[in-house]
Amino acid sequence: MTHAEGGAQDVVLRTTGLSKTFAGTTVLRNANLEVRRGEVHALLGGNGSGKSTLIKLLAGVYRADAGGRIEVQGVCADADEWSPSMARSGGLHFVHQDPAVFGALTVAENLAIGRGFVCTATGRVNWPATRRRTAQILERFSLDVSPDTLVAELRPADRTMLAIARALQDQEGAHDGVLVLDEPTASLPAWEVEILLAALRKYAAAGQTIVYVSHRLSEVLELADRVTVLRDGAQVATRETRNLTEEQLVELIVGRGLDRVFPERSERVSNDVVLSVRGLIAGPLRGIDLDLHRGEILGVAGLLGSGRSALLRALFGDLLMTAGQIQLAGQAYRPSRPARAMKAGIAMVPEDRGTEALFGSLSVRENLSASVVARYWARARLQHRREHLDARSLVEAYDVRPASDQSIAGTLSGGNQQKIVMARWLRRDPLVLLLDEPTQGVDVQARADIYEHVRRAVAAGTAVLLVTSDFEELAHVADRAVVVREGRVAAEVSGAELDPHRLTELSYLFKETTA
Amino acid sequence: MTTTTNRRPTSGEAAAVPPRGRPELLGFLEKYALAVLFVLLCLYFSMSGATAGTFPTMANLRNVLGSESVIAVAALASIVPLTCGQFDLSVGAVIGLASIVTGSAAATHHLPVIVAVFLGILSGAVIGTFNGWLVAHRGVNALIATLGTSTLVAGLVSLYTKNQILSVGIPDSLINLGSGQTLGVPRTLYALVLVAALVYYLLRHTPYGRYLASVGASPTSARLVGLNVSRMILSSFVLSGALSGVAGVLLLARAGTANPQVGPGFTLAALSAAFLGATAIRPGTFNVMGTLLGVLFVAVSVNGLVLAGAADWVEPTFNGAALLVAVTLSTAIARRRAGRT
Repeated sequence: MTHAEGGAQDVVLRTTGLSKTFAGTTVLRNANLEVRRGEVHALLGGNGSGKSTLIKLLAGVYRADAGGRIEVQGVCADADEWSPSMARSGGLHFVHQDPAVFGALTVAENLAIGRGFVCTATGRVNWPATRRRTAQILERFSLDVSPDTLVAELRPADRTMLAIARALQDQEGAHDGVLVLDEPTASLPAWEVEILLAALRKYAAAGQTIVYVSHRLSEVLELADRVTVLRDGAQVATRETRNLTEEQLVELIVGRGLDRVFPERSERVSNDVVLSVRGLIAGPLRGIDLDLHRGEILGVAGLLGSGRSALLRALFGDLLMTAGQIQLAGQAYRPSRPARAMKAGIAMVPEDRGTEALFGSLSVRENLSASVVARYWARARLQHRREHLDARSLVEAYDVRPASDQSIAGTLSGGNQQKIVMARWLRRDPLVLLLDEPTQGVDVQARADIYEHVRRAVAAGTAVLLVTSDFEELAHVADRAVVVREGRVAAEVSGAELDPHRLTELSYLFKETTA
Repeated sequence: MTTTTNRRPTSGEAAAVPPRGRPELLGFLEKYALAVLFVLLCLYFSMSGATAGTFPTMANLRNVLGSESVIAVAALASIVPLTCGQFDLSVGAVIGLASIVTGSAAATHHLPVIVAVFLGILSGAVIGTFNGWLVAHRGVNALIATLGTSTLVAGLVSLYTKNQILSVGIPDSLINLGSGQTLGVPRTLYALVLVAALVYYLLRHTPYGRYLASVGASPTSARLVGLNVSRMILSSFVLSGALSGVAGVLLLARAGTANPQVGPGFTLAALSAAFLGATAIRPGTFNVMGTLLGVLFVAVSVNGLVLAGAADWVEPTFNGAALLVAVTLSTAIARRRAGRT
């Protein structure tokens, strides 16, 4: 391994012995990152490898464990004392996947919000001067838009570039600082990615130092000079990209050799198909085919933005399908609204518990019965007593704490909230249960409880479609998994092949089939 | 990138102590603070020298209860959209409209009383439908939409009436409803009890009420448990409009005249009562008993102060202050209940 010996080179950003521990679990161990002036340095790693943690430590959002050091262009401190203001004075600029620009404001206003407006002596905004300055910045960053355009009207790549320009506009020398891009292309469509990459190449050629976090290996090889790979919180290697292939990169990320890259699709012969999807097109989905069997947990693996959540929403009628056929229990099924999907026997636990599933200000009981309110309508009134009894027994069965059906749902811990949402849907004995990140932000005990209940439902015949970005969990829980990539099912694995490394490989390796 | 939560939590987190229930006493105080305050207020006005002779009399009691029915019905109308998270500022204007419609249908156009009353309530429902369409289907902010219709309706009423009070020809049966008594109780109070029972039933004892509360708590979650969010919002405005229409008919009956000027003034009083009500009985929730208590509390306060010799400024000042205190309190309660302290 050619670990970078940056001694002779001009190092702009250096971390030594950087570690981070959450509640006894080390998520980043002894990271020694070295970024040289003027290079594009990629940071790679699978889900949970620690790269997001590393970025948040650099930004000063998380506090590192004692013992490490961070140094950026002469600003240097013990890692456990590193703060956002130090990051700023060292010239670290962060642009995240969601570029956080203001759509309702103009380009000029968006730039001015980063540094303040040019004002006249009386405190009025000096618009001509602001516009002139904006034009200069736009030229410096080769952004071909007018200062007066509303940002909402820009194409996505330009919005990201605008965020970059806003972050970098104050650098004294044109390219002094370090630009940290955290998955800037994750939510961009393919053709927009090209535009952004072209711009980044231009900045890099002009000498801008860039730290680039991405899942897309082809981009990394194209753009970066060197790459640092993290796995399970440890720094695996730092390499020049010049002689690296995509396969070698995957090997570094996954941590083992690639014997069988292309799997044979397992042909599961079964005639109890509950849900069969053919050529489903909806939102980012570009033709999904899959079969789900009675009593099966089918995992859906894929990277951020691959279309895995969209698949669930389309099946639940919350995202309108534009083409394709679905058969549910032998009947043609074309969900137009969640209510229809529910009637057909489908249940969905959405990804964002706080805003999409929970009624935070209502009681646990009301949350539990949200999916079955009409069942309590008898003799011209809601049967509160029956509802209360049912809720009590659910609270007990799911071990919700505090053990009361009258507490306000928003005050419970994440794990208990999720148990309530699970109970709400499982009490309907759904034919098909769609789970989107069901254990996100949930403690270990609750996670085990949740899967215990999923298993019980499966034993009773429910079919489950499970999306989770924790591939270890997925490999553990699912009977079979499909890998979704670019809105299509790219692979299917089962049996011995179903392990987290394999899923990571497959999520990365299938080449984009550009539209 | 979407979560800041630790991906691999340990058993340390599992052992996290669940939030404790509030102590019993505090919960009791929260529920009944307004009621206790109300009783104390009544006692004070009954014993204080300035009002001891005038406040605790049957005549005064009947007067307060009789005239507050209009505000109470308006307040009950406004809690329907509030339950699903929407403001209706057109309550007052609709009261004015309905009283003019009913009055002129009966007095000017000589329609049977029952038809006139029906038209008054219908006019409220129509305005409510328009509000609901703007908010639910056009995505207009409810405050702005209902403020707009409120002003528009008041303008049209003044155009139609040329700002003249309609006092001749109001049928006796209506006036009897407004000022008469049955079993010693003002008749408007019976109408109020009817409306209160209806709203209570709808909000507490039907799936519809639960759906409204769900939409109010989280529209996205409501959509993902299969609710038709826009239909809920639209219907809440229709109900609010129709009930405001009822309040308008009561106003006409009570006053014996249809005055195009008085309607809009009821909005603020109705909202004060609704928000005061959300601090009591079922704290953090708009509820019927709390709202009625809120109406009485404001009414008795103003009545006592006026009897004590305070001037015209008392009513608006007190209403405004009550609204601010109520909104602040109920927001604080709601935030705490949602765990966002």
